[in-house]
Amino acid sequence: MIEFRNISKVYKMGEVEFVALKGVFITVRQGEFLSIMGPSGSGKSTLMNIIGCLDTPTEGFYYLEGENVAGLTFDQLSTIRNRKVGFVFQNFNLLPYATAYENIELPMLFNGKKAGARRQRVSELLEMVGLSPWARHRPTEMSGGQQQRVAIARALAMDPPIILADEPTGNLDSKSGHEIMEIFSRLWKGGRTILMVTHDPAIAAFSQSTIRLLDGAVQQDGAAT
Amino acid sequence: MIPAFFRNLFRDLVRQPLRTFLTLSGVTWGTFAVILLLAFGTGIGKQQMKQFRGMGQGIILVFPGQTTMTYNGLPKGRRIQVTPDELELVKKRVPGIRTLSPEFISSRNIRYGREQLLNTVRGVDVPFERIRNTIPAQGRFINETDVRQHRRNCFLGATIAKSLFKGMKPVGQQVMIEGVPFTVIGVMIEKDQNSNYNGMRDTHCAFIPWTTYMTLYGEKYVQNFIVQPGDPALSKQTIAALRNYFGGRLGFNPLDKDALFVWDFSDFERQFNLFFTAFNIFLGVIGSFTLLVGGVGVASIMLVVVEERIREIGIKLAVGAKRRAIMWQFFAEANCIILIGGAIGFLLAALLLTLLPAEQLEEYIGIPRLNPLVGIVTVLILLAIGTLSGLTPARRAAATDPIVALRK
Repeated sequence: MIEFRNISKVYKMGEVEFVALKGVFITVRQGEFLSIMGPSGSGKSTLMNIIGCLDTPTEGFYYLEGENVAGLTFDQLSTIRNRKVGFVFQNFNLLPYATAYENIELPMLFNGKKAGARRQRVSELLEMVGLSPWARHRPTEMSGGQQQRVAIARALAMDPPIILADEPTGNLDSKSGHEIMEIFSRLWKGGRTILMVTHDPAIAAFSQSTIRLLDGAVQQDGAAT
Repeated sequence: MIPAFFRNLFRDLVRQPLRTFLTLSGVTWGTFAVILLLAFGTGIGKQQMKQFRGMGQGIILVFPGQTTMTYNGLPKGRRIQVTPDELELVKKRVPGIRTLSPEFISSRNIRYGREQLLNTVRGVDVPFERIRNTIPAQGRFINETDVRQHRRNCFLGATIAKSLFKGMKPVGQQVMIEGVPFTVIGVMIEKDQNSNYNGMRDTHCAFIPWTTYMTLYGEKYVQNFIVQPGDPALSKQTIAALRNYFGGRLGFNPLDKDALFVWDFSDFERQFNLFFTAFNIFLGVIGSFTLLVGGVGVASIMLVVVEERIREIGIKLAVGAKRRAIMWQFFAEANCIILIGGAIGFLLAALLLTLLPAEQLEEYIGIPRLNPLVGIVTVLILLAIGTLSGLTPARRAAATDPIVALRK
């Protein structure tokens, strides 16, 4: 499903070079639930950005469902982000002036889905995350947990096989965090591949396996404790 | 996508009312200025042309004068004199003439009952009506029979008819010109006229058959004659042919401009048209610069908007928007602002033009009108400005790095 072969990422800031990832090999099979742990600055976010096709590696090969992503243009990567990957962010990243409904609809606006199909899909998703009565509310009128559920619904809008979650519970209290993790577990059992960055071992415990990053390299690849 | 676009646009415009107002007002004012300038420009041009045509359309006025060159042993300073009989021959012998009329002019006493005026009397031929646009509002102009039989019939200008008859019907009445009774056969329409020669303007004149004029006042030579060329564009050739012809007949050098003094209206009209076209372009350019300033305002506001919505752009890119979609969004938004501002300016200008008491100003500046040309030019300028002011912000927005944008 996801295969990293010797992926490196180097940021150049003037004369200074910053190596975010050095020679990373990762393989994620379909239907796997993987947590990525590590201290800040260890390259977790860069790894996630590359997997999610927001960023491109400086070196190495990245195969997504068997396709080499490295040589694609920005717009081709946009299509991949739209169809194959759903992002869930720590700070939700919802459009503040748009309603829950409009936020969930957003990914579908970029590939010409018919209005009827969009409406049906949005109500399905609202139902699924238990927010049907909140369709017309804006993010500012919702709790953090509710906002994150809207974000998950948005990530699922195009029914992507892969969900990428970057500290999805980082801004939430433990109760809301658990609710969110239960949704992820459900999605995983439904057959989706989930990659999640987290600090919290209790949250990582929901996943099947964990990898640890340190200074841009994979330290350990094993079962979750 | 389309309704969502307008919803977002509307939300953006409403969220910052003051900023929206300032941005729109720049464009509105620019459009308003362009439309008014062009409307007034074409109005003035049309009015001037109309007054100018009060004299006639594409005509050549010829005044026999004095020679200033010796010719075939003849001295200079000789008077050149033309008889109506000579003009009959000219019609046949000089190419390029459609029609012509002799003209005799003098000031005469005109009386009706107790009203007495000293006005201009013009002795003319039948074609004068077509050549000089002396169109009757009542009755008719002088006809062939009047001329042939030396009838004492007269055709009055609108003002003189009003002064003499005070609202009574003039046609069929008798007026006394220098004590000789004339029957009024027609009254001219009211017309604007901004140029003239010898005597008063047409509206103050009485027109009588030239044959009658010659018999009554003992004139032998015409004061001037008016030629209507077959093609006004060829007026220069017609004039040269006239000078050649008369030079041979009356003995003067055809190059002697003062022997026959010529006033060429079609040449005038060409220069006039050229001047007003240039004038309108000048006004349009001034207006466009005003509008351009408004466009710069929109562009800078849009750059700020792009900066403010950088996270929104990041989110959209993350969920799969192509760069083109982002670019289009901001480009369309800038153009919408321009078009909304333009529409308001257009309506305001149209409103002003409707409410303007144009009738009172008509004689001087004409009636400013929103003609289709003004509309098309304005829309084209607006589109050009919209493109210019939308492109930079849209490009900036589309070049956003989603990772940087999402971190903000």
